[in-house]
Amino acid sequence: MELYQQFLHTLAKWQYELNSYISSRIRSLNDENDMAVFLLVLGIAFLYGLVHAAGPGHGKALVALYFTSNKSDYKKAFKMGYMISVIHAFSALLFTFGIYFILKTMFRKNFDELSHIAILISAVMIIFVGLYLIYEAYTHKEHKEKKVENSSKSEVAVAFSAGVVPCPGVMTIVLFCIVLGQFTLGVLAAIAMSIGMGLTISLAGILSIAFNKKTGNLLNDKAYILEMLGGLLIFLLGSFLLLGSLS
Amino acid sequence: MKKVYIIFFLISSLCAHPHTFIDVYPTIRVNDASSSVVNFKWVLDDMTSTILIMELDSNGDGKISEKENLFIEKEYFSIFQDYDYYTYIFFDGKKVKLPEPENFRATIENNKICYSFDIKLSSNIRNITIEFGDSSYYVSMVLKTKFVKAEGLLIKVTDVDNDLYYGYRLELK
Repeated sequence: MELYQQFLHTLAKWQYELNSYISSRIRSLNDENDMAVFLLVLGIAFLYGLVHAAGPGHGKALVALYFTSNKSDYKKAFKMGYMISVIHAFSALLFTFGIYFILKTMFRKNFDELSHIAILISAVMIIFVGLYLIYEAYTHKEHKEKKVENSSKSEVAVAFSAGVVPCPGVMTIVLFCIVLGQFTLGVLAAIAMSIGMGLTISLAGILSIAFNKKTGNLLNDKAYILEMLGGLLIFLLGSFLLLGSLS
Repeated sequence: MKKVYIIFFLISSLCAHPHTFIDVYPTIRVNDASSSVVNFKWVLDDMTSTILIMELDSNGDGKISEKENLFIEKEYFSIFQDYDYYTYIFFDGKKVKLPEPENFRATIENNKICYSFDIKLSSNIRNITIEFGDSSYYVSMVLKTKFVKAEGLLIKVTDVDNDLYYGYRLELK
């Protein structure tokens, strides 16, 4: 665990530097509307997203467990990562603009309250995805099927449940830009950051697929065991999330 | 190994990672051998500060008035009590309860929100170690040697990465 803490600490130190650098660059744009600085900010936002998503959260566990539970190729992991980023960015932009332009007050508090509702929705969806995967695994066991591919519907459900909870990091950068009068930059930075996050989330899926390929070959016609384990862990993940957000 | 893998991902999905960075500036005033005051000044990162200034500087004059200060203390600062103000004090290696913060004051300096407060200690300051960290990973506390003011004391700032949190440790000799 200490090694994990050291890893998180290193990530936090990188983010501290990136956070400070990006805010000073955005502030400098107010004085000199330079295209090079504009693009630099977007590049750093991408990098920030990449590192940011490597820390806890953002559905990496869900994606990893999902791909543990079924045979997929690496392309699917990228597709999943990017579906999550699109939903993640869209959700953060929607929440940010909604509170800023409609509620206009107590930004952080309202954002936290709305995020809490999104977490509840996400947790319930994760539980259903888990139950669905367990059901699928049971069917495959009955039919002794070796090759298993989950439906695209379950992929969308996984992407939605992981992405619907808005990222406070994206919200912060968007709002910071709006307050400084850089509306377009705020939206583009949110997209750049989400693409960075998508890449990291995809990597979690790729690692899981590699793990699956190795163990799946060993298990041979007992591949449904891995599917069932993945489904069960996703179910537990959703349950923990639900209990945690209700308490 | 598989167990570690699973635990790693379970924990990863349930926690949040740093979204706010706080620079911690401790100033230590030794009264006598058994009593001292540590003033903590928290400087919040630029992005978080900008959002908070928008919310908290209600009259928009770029300063925190007495009325705004009271509101911030009640609605924003006091919630950190649930997190022990991300500050853990150890006497002779033993963790003790953090005394209630006093003299809270919020200010705006260089576009950043600053929270200042005092912690009174009734023990020999030379046997004290202070750690800073957030077990929920939402806030990242940052301590650097140059942030610490402690006349007549030797200071040592190191990383702390234990089972509960990552952060920094301040040792006073």
